[in-house]
Amino acid sequence: MNPLGFAWRSLVRQPARASLGILGVAAVGALLFDMLLLSNGLLVSMRDIFDRAGFDLRVTATEALPGQGPRMQDATAAVDAIARLSNVRSVIAMRFAEALIETTATSRVRVSFQGVGGVGARPWDLVQGREAQGTRELLVNRDTAERLRLAPGSRVQVRASCSEEPESLPPAMFTVTGVADFPFDTSSSPTAVTTLEALGELCGLDAAGQADVIMVASREGATMAATAAQVSAAVPTLQVLTNEEMVGRIESGGFSYFRQISTVLTTVTLSFAVLLITVLLTVSVNQRLGEIAALRALGFTRGRVVADVLCESALIVGGGGLLSLPLGGLLAVGLDGILKNIPGIPEDVHFFVYQSRALGVHAGLLVATALAAALYPVRIVARLPIAATLRNEIVG
Amino acid sequence: MNIASRVNNAIIEAVNVSRVFPMPAGPVMAVDDITLRIEHGEHTSIRGPSGCGKSTLLHMLGCVDTPSSGTLLFNGADVATLSDRQRSLVRLRQVGFVFQRFFLLPMLTAAENVELPQAEAGVSKPDRRRRTKELLDYVGLGARAGHRPSELSGGEMQRVAIARALANRPRLLLADEPTGELDRSTGEQIAALLDRVNADGTALVIVTHDQTLAERSRRILTMRDGRIEREESR
Ligand SMILES: Nc1ncnc2c1ncn2[C@@H]1O[C@H](COP(=O)(O)OP(=O)(O)O)[C@@H](O)[C@H]1O
Ligand SMILES: [Mg+2]
Repeated sequence: MNPLGFAWRSLVRQPARASLGILGVAAVGALLFDMLLLSNGLLVSMRDIFDRAGFDLRVTATEALPGQGPRMQDATAAVDAIARLSNVRSVIAMRFAEALIETTATSRVRVSFQGVGGVGARPWDLVQGREAQGTRELLVNRDTAERLRLAPGSRVQVRASCSEEPESLPPAMFTVTGVADFPFDTSSSPTAVTTLEALGELCGLDAAGQADVIMVASREGATMAATAAQVSAAVPTLQVLTNEEMVGRIESGGFSYFRQISTVLTTVTLSFAVLLITVLLTVSVNQRLGEIAALRALGFTRGRVVADVLCESALIVGGGGLLSLPLGGLLAVGLDGILKNIPGIPEDVHFFVYQSRALGVHAGLLVATALAAALYPVRIVARLPIAATLRNEIVG
Repeated sequence: MNIASRVNNAIIEAVNVSRVFPMPAGPVMAVDDITLRIEHGEHTSIRGPSGCGKSTLLHMLGCVDTPSSGTLLFNGADVATLSDRQRSLVRLRQVGFVFQRFFLLPMLTAAENVELPQAEAGVSKPDRRRRTKELLDYVGLGARAGHRPSELSGGEMQRVAIARALANRPRLLLADEPTGELDRSTGEQIAALLDRVNADGTALVIVTHDQTLAERSRRILTMRDGRIEREESR
């Protein structure tokens, strides 16, 4: 009987102890798995949204994240220059503002108001009607449409506010042309989009041609890096960010909380697992000292009895580890649901995202747990004085 | 092979062997300068009052404990020069142990307990099966092969333990109070079984404080305070 079969028999012999160990590891493993999914989940999710929006590059005035730094002044010229590049499929410029949209004096809603210009695909999915094209046309998201009961053809009054300072700009009448889903939509975030020119006009003369970000999509077959190089050369005064760099910026800009929390919780969780298994194995080994000494007297090598303990640890941790995956998966879905209730979190953003790398790390950490937990009981077994133990079992 | 092993026929030879246990209250001399040879096919008993050093001596003869001083030769090789692994191998292939408390593995059947040392010695599965059946028949438990120790009586457990000790055909069988946990008549059955094992060619050293068990041996050593006080042959 090899050490694994032997360890299996030892476990089966004490089903309560084995179940306790396996369930303990399953619970700890589920938490561990979730911590690993959480540590990168948000970033992976954002990256995914960026990629799904269909744009590879973001061009901004400075290194600040889009919408958080100064605007580009001559965005129209930049868009034209970028549109001419051989690697570029579509390019759009966006300007972010806010607006109060009113249908009647009582029915009004404050929206995130965006001006979009350029050529090619848009980063949203049209669900009804058509894009806004003329200077007095407006596309709204579902939330806005539902709140104000808007449909293509509806007429609304728009009061834009274009800067941080309070301002009183003259209201203007707009016609709704369509309804769309936006990639960063939250369940309660009204959004409306018009053309860049229309927003510039609303915001005043000096604002024409201003934009917060230019988004660029590569042509099929062109690499992100090659397009980024072309764009940088075409608009040397502007900053070019790939989606990857963008995620990196967001991460260094404060989203490392999740990683830090997850690292701390992972460490605590694993220490708990190590302690639990160490205690279970130590108790079990101490109960069997006589048998182990007898096996040694019968010619089992030290390596062999050590292997038995290691295998027992591996079986407990392995069994618990397997159970922890479905358990962790369910838990992640539940926790994700709770976190997504935080106001202002976009619908498509997830905190717990499956990554195969997380699965690898999970397995690696559990192997380390099995080894660490076996350390003390292995030491007991390896140092067991055979003669004295046999004697103690009789006398004691 | 050195001269000693060629000249004599000893399985194990102890020369001026002592075993001291350093204790807080002062060293305990468990075995005090014993010189002893165990030859092939011998039937020896070691008797004496509790605490006189019988088990300690037996453990040294079985290579599970090492002398504090003196020399122990197993088949002529100095045991002190063997690594822990080599000593394990000597025990696995050449020595069999029978304990007072049997120490069968409770989660294994009688047959699996007997197979265990054979598997450790690398015996193939069919050979193991054959040998195990033969041994269980030999100790009269052929019909109980599939039973766990908890389903066996004390005498039956000890018989399984004897079968296990014989599994790898050792030259030497060491038994420490093999009847210590058994009633008189069961003890006699075990003693008879051990006699048969010896008659079939295995050297036997039995440690016991049981007078009648000791007197079944051809050679009886009586110990006192770590020394061999008397040696009788019959
Ligand atoms: N591991 C040990 N540590 C300390 N003292 C021991 C140990 N083993 C045996 N002794 C002491 O050595 C003496 C002989 O013990 P032992 O060989 O077990 O005697 P016996 O088997 O004849 O009853 C006793 O005094 C015992 O207390
Ligand atoms: Mg004793």
